[in-house]
Amino acid sequence: MRISEQAKQENRTRILEKAAEIFTVKGFEDTTTRDISLASGLAAGTLFNYFPSKETLAMTMVTEAFDQGREDFLRRCTGKEDLAEELFLFVASGLRRLRPLRPFLGPVLERSLSPFPRKNVCQEGEAARLGHLNAVQKIIGRHGFDEAPDYVAMTMYWSLYLGILAYWANDPSPNQEASQALIDYSIRMFVQVISGAGSDKGEADAG
Amino acid sequence: MQVDDGRATETVQMEMLLDALPKGSAADPNGLALARLIAEISNKKVPVHSFSRIWTLGSLQAKVTAGYFAYWLRSCFCDAEKKQQLKSEAHLAAALQLFGTMGYLRGAVMKVGQMLANLPEVVPEEFAEVLSALHFEAPPMHYSLVREVFLDEFGREPEEVFASFDRQAFAAASLGQVHRARLHSGEEVAVKIQYPGIARTIKADLRNLRLLLQPLCLTIDWQDTLAKLADIERMLLMETDYAQEARFGKLARSVFTAEDRVIVPQIYDEYSTARVLTTEYLHGCHINDFLAADPGQGERDHFTTLLTVATYRLYYRLHWLPADPHPGNFIFMADGRLGMIDFGCTLTLSDEEWIFSNQAIQAALDRDLPGLNRAIARACRYDDPGEMEPDHLEVIRSGFYWFMEPWQQEGLFDFGDRAFFRRGIDNVIEAARKGYTRSLPMTIWSNRFTFGGRAFCYKLKGRCEFRKIFLQESSWLHNSP
Repeated sequence: MRISEQAKQENRTRILEKAAEIFTVKGFEDTTTRDISLASGLAAGTLFNYFPSKETLAMTMVTEAFDQGREDFLRRCTGKEDLAEELFLFVASGLRRLRPLRPFLGPVLERSLSPFPRKNVCQEGEAARLGHLNAVQKIIGRHGFDEAPDYVAMTMYWSLYLGILAYWANDPSPNQEASQALIDYSIRMFVQVISGAGSDKGEADAG
Repeated sequence: MQVDDGRATETVQMEMLLDALPKGSAADPNGLALARLIAEISNKKVPVHSFSRIWTLGSLQAKVTAGYFAYWLRSCFCDAEKKQQLKSEAHLAAALQLFGTMGYLRGAVMKVGQMLANLPEVVPEEFAEVLSALHFEAPPMHYSLVREVFLDEFGREPEEVFASFDRQAFAAASLGQVHRARLHSGEEVAVKIQYPGIARTIKADLRNLRLLLQPLCLTIDWQDTLAKLADIERMLLMETDYAQEARFGKLARSVFTAEDRVIVPQIYDEYSTARVLTTEYLHGCHINDFLAADPGQGERDHFTTLLTVATYRLYYRLHWLPADPHPGNFIFMADGRLGMIDFGCTLTLSDEEWIFSNQAIQAALDRDLPGLNRAIARACRYDDPGEMEPDHLEVIRSGFYWFMEPWQQEGLFDFGDRAFFRRGIDNVIEAARKGYTRSLPMTIWSNRFTFGGRAFCYKLKGRCEFRKIFLQESSWLHNSP
């Protein structure tokens, strides 16, 4: 039976909503695609017409949250921010949208965003990474950096960002305020490094 | 920021460090071993030339302070057997490393370091300066971070919560910063915002520091130190509890009337949370700007009187020791009123402490020497004055006499008298040098209260009829319901 585009969209939205509910209750690892199909009122196989795997499904939620975060960031950005401030706003806006997914996010991010070599690269995760880094490059470009940062700088950024995500996913402090301090420090550090303000000599002395 | 020629700076710093550090009598006559320990720890773990992002205690002043700290701690276990000593050294090194990362102590540590490096030639002005700087700092927050705090606390952006909100902070506050804003109803307000997570950081650091220090020594004086450290933790955590500060502010506001010419700003509850505190904005200036305009003696005396009335009103009515001597907490208003802000560091005396405190004052006023000696022994945690070395009793008693001088003089008392202030400092230094530091934890607060107030009035070069004010304020004791 063919179903309309509208019905497809409704199914997709329902699957994402129900999956988020079940992930939150049972955790990502213990939830099966069957659980999600049942809760969404779909036949077991139908789910795969929408999402090829549980990982892709979860990562779709993450990507959508990131997209919303990016929109929030653009709306909130006043143009008066310095580089560190603007990067902070970007990262914080993304995490704020991601917050409802936090209870089950750890294993999802670990599987989809892991920087280690893997057999099956999660396409959704890779797209999220490139989208994020692209936005960061644009921000950096707006602050007087003519050339795109090299792979060292961007790898450093991504490592810091993954560290922030990992800490944030587990952060027990109210409103993840400890993570906010971590983002603040991490971004100040990154900006200082790409601005060349920390001399090699000082760092060498610091051992 | 220092980025070039790191090696040369490093050598100079090492020499300065050696100069500044205390020297041990036998084991370490040149202070070399201590300097090496400090330099090793701080150079490794605290990048001295590194940039501002790493918010640590990397400066020479911090090292000097750490040196004194280490020296003092070592003196507590220098008699122990070799094995115990080695173990203690390891704990000490770990404690100093931790200390080096406690960035929120930066301002305080730098100031104490400056003073320690100048002992015993410390001058009253310096002492007053150091006292006023003993507060805790947080890294400055840029506006994006402020906005995140607002979203978490109010669910809205600062510009939505207020009719207008200054992006730039106008003052640093303990562990946060203050922004000016305007309510939709038009009132001008000061909004104090706390750096996210700083309370937890402090709590964790101090707990770890205590754990590291715990095995060093087990004497009674040592237990005393740990008890004080616990009290300092309490003081710090109080400063991070804006909800409590709001309660204190409201209480304080309730004990002054328009005739008192002392004003405590109104708290706006609907714009305040545990991490954001919104109060009425008071127009005026701080002490340095006030003094820069070269005020006459009459004005100086006026504000000294108001300050004395204000602090002793809080003491007698509410049993408080407002123990934060930071000069930013007092506002000199153009219409002659004194504004009192920030009640983050206020101790409410327990009934027992309150009775004890007044008994000591009364014994001194009555010239009841045995009674005073008993009070001093108790303050120093002895059961009886006979248990104290006579010199110990004498030094602490002369400090108390100094404290009581203004209470016993009829007419104007001159708090700007350098010789008077100097005597107080000399007493503190003598007690510290002789190791007479054992005392009830509340004495940390009462000393801060006394010295903070006196340093402020000294700077002001002000006079007031102290005894008259004391009699007037303490009459509440007898007339209260």
